[in-house]
Amino acid sequence: MRSRLRGDTTGIAILWVIGILSTGLANAEEEFPRAYDDHPDLSGIWQAIGTAHWNIQDHQASAGPAELGALGATPPGRGVVEGDAIPYQPWALDQKQKNFENRLTEDPETKCYLPGVPRATYLPYPFQILQGTSKIMIVYGFAEANRTIHMDKENPEPAPIDSWMGRSHGHWEGDTLVVDVAGFNGQAWFDRAGNFASDTLRVIERYTPMGANAINYEATIEDPNVFTGSWKMTMPLYRRLEADAQVLEFKCVEFSEELLYGHLRKSPTP
Amino acid sequence: MKYKLINPLVLVATALLVTIPTIVSGAESGAQTHHVHLAASNASEAVKWYLRHLPCRAIAEQPDAIDCGGFEIEFVVRATLGGSPGTGVDHIGFSFADLDTKMAELEAVGVRGSGVRLQRFEDGSTLREVPGLFKHGFVFDPWGTRIELVEDPEILGFHHIHLHSEDPDAALKWYSEVIGGKPAKLKGQQDGLLLGRVWLLVSRHPQGRPAPTDERSIDHVGFVVTDLEAASVLMTARGVELQGPTVPNNGRSSAKRAFLSGPDGVKIAVVETGWAGIVTAKLPTEDSSASKEPFTTPRTPWGEPDLQGIWTGNAAHGIPLERTAEAGETAALTPEEAAARRERGTLGSIWGYEREWRDTTLDYAKLAPSRQVAMIIDPADGRLPALTEKGEARAAAARDARAYRRLAAGPEDLSTYVRCITRGLPGLMMPGIYNNGLQIIQSPGYVAVQKEMIHEARIIPTAASPHLGSNLKQWLGNSRGRWEGDTLVVEVTGFNGRASYRGSDENLKLTERYRLVGPHTLEYRFTIDDPTIWTSPWTGMFQFEKDDAQYELVEYACHEGNYGMTNILSGARAKEKLMNGPAG
Repeated sequence: MRSRLRGDTTGIAILWVIGILSTGLANAEEEFPRAYDDHPDLSGIWQAIGTAHWNIQDHQASAGPAELGALGATPPGRGVVEGDAIPYQPWALDQKQKNFENRLTEDPETKCYLPGVPRATYLPYPFQILQGTSKIMIVYGFAEANRTIHMDKENPEPAPIDSWMGRSHGHWEGDTLVVDVAGFNGQAWFDRAGNFASDTLRVIERYTPMGANAINYEATIEDPNVFTGSWKMTMPLYRRLEADAQVLEFKCVEFSEELLYGHLRKSPTP
Repeated sequence: MKYKLINPLVLVATALLVTIPTIVSGAESGAQTHHVHLAASNASEAVKWYLRHLPCRAIAEQPDAIDCGGFEIEFVVRATLGGSPGTGVDHIGFSFADLDTKMAELEAVGVRGSGVRLQRFEDGSTLREVPGLFKHGFVFDPWGTRIELVEDPEILGFHHIHLHSEDPDAALKWYSEVIGGKPAKLKGQQDGLLLGRVWLLVSRHPQGRPAPTDERSIDHVGFVVTDLEAASVLMTARGVELQGPTVPNNGRSSAKRAFLSGPDGVKIAVVETGWAGIVTAKLPTEDSSASKEPFTTPRTPWGEPDLQGIWTGNAAHGIPLERTAEAGETAALTPEEAAARRERGTLGSIWGYEREWRDTTLDYAKLAPSRQVAMIIDPADGRLPALTEKGEARAAAARDARAYRRLAAGPEDLSTYVRCITRGLPGLMMPGIYNNGLQIIQSPGYVAVQKEMIHEARIIPTAASPHLGSNLKQWLGNSRGRWEGDTLVVEVTGFNGRASYRGSDENLKLTERYRLVGPHTLEYRFTIDDPTIWTSPWTGMFQFEKDDAQYELVEYACHEGNYGMTNILSGARAKEKLMNGPAG
């Protein structure tokens, strides 16, 4: 009896390891997996579920371009911003409105530009985290976006070069991965509603395991040139549990070319 | 002063070495000669560049040096740690009777090819008048040496060496006491020393102490004396510490040389009359540790072979895919040939901001170029196998497209690379003139291969998993990996066929093999099996070198800044308008 039990336990343990490696499958009661160094192992394919990519604040259903019918409409959604308020400076609130009005041509997403941080996190596509020994890489499908989180380097102030995705430096606070992201070029938006920041943006991300298959994601936003104070958004990231989950290429450049270059065609698009 | 200085020399350390003997002057100081050592990654390219653009002539028996009106510039082939600005020898100057014409000529050369980089003043002009002095402007040679061009009819040709100092008065005093020369003011304005007919000018460095010249593009300044032993006794008596004098092992003559440290980190050579330069040391080549003792591939903490790190394809840039006819049966290029090929590769394309930026601005050390003759290792002749009938047809169509290249009607007429979509596979792995970074990060069961150029990151699972279905094709196909011993073997299929490599189509099966052949060397093999295009599979190989210490991948936001696309299309429209005559 004893030996049979032991045999069963071993069998289950092996299955569990295979499950994690090949499919990421795990039971809800299970603990969040740990890496070789006992930190939580964030490696895997994750996705935010919600409508934050439309608007990080509370929003009602609204119409899109008429020719797309209901397909182009914005679905309603609860916001992800703490208190649902973004403390814009007056000029910035005006700019946000202008962004919204011009979103069909000005949103970097429609131009297939790199989405920036934190927007890349809650675009409606899966992304994969690879937790290496001194760096963590996150690969997002959209626009081939990816970022390296340096766990092993001093955080240079200021970042040596500006970029869309910023420069990420991480460290562990208990079971939470804290990532300090700065060095942005100030051109990325937060959502399709025109929320935005400038090149003085600093994002502090916190990735905290919640259960075996979810991460609590927090992003604290600071930008003294756009906001009157810092603010925070929070949302869960869910593990994609399909056995064949894979981050697929979303090379969207060619879908933006008409918008960007149509007027320069030999037979210009009217 | 008892010893006689004949020639001051300026030397550049990394890639270009310049020695410049000046004419003998009757100056009471006795200072008479100098030369400059510049560092260049290829001496013959550097010689050609200077002969073409500046009033200098070749020196017989000294293929790595030029004579600029009695001032000698020697070029040393070695890894450079950056250009001259910011060091104690900021630049060298040449004088022209008609500077407007000269600058227009240089401007016409542009930065393409073995080009000339112009420095523009705040208002965009390349020349300006300095009241009381002369008209002047600045250019850079391809190795980062700053060159001032002046219009000073009193001294034409080589004009001056311009030092930067934390304390110009002290520097001038030091040079006049140790080297000789008389403190004077050029045109009554600019502090300096006149050595023969060459000015040694000194300005206050804008930010404290300048960087040492050692291993920068102007490595050192040299001076020639008739009797170095006697001179060294006098210099030592003045408290100067000398390295030497000795006859260098690789010296072309029996003339002696000594080095000393001047003020502000300026390296100074003093050589004897008869100095004819040195034969430069061979460039470091391959990592020899691999051949000496068996190399063990490190393991990740979870037990997989560890390929992680930042690698670059810079050393492999310039290796042709196929063995060239000139290469014959050669097993490997000599280091000199490899350096020349690398140089041609860089200079033959657009300027190569890699050199401008990483090498010069960020002071990156350059890796020794690969000596590999060709990438193709199978077939053994290094040539592509014969094309199939369909392959021939595709190649002919591609040739026609090139021959009848028309103005792009829209983005679709341009390559997927120009469009910033992708370079395809294995195209994206290939080294280019810049942004050659490759970062590998692993987590259990996965390897991420990130290429800097166009910022593509591939995720390769190493646990067995099925390929994607046949209705789900991708630009980069679908990668499935496995470990065979210490080698990562990746099979890639499921291509959409729209980013062809040398004619490959959607039937391509690409097999890649990544393995460490030394602690700093990642070998990459790619086997192309596309039976609709080639009559047999073929395999290429090149190596990435580890560069963790200095290299970091930057975000190559290609599409986001694709001004080229706008310019190409609007240029095409403008050209059509011209060809069609006035509208209406």
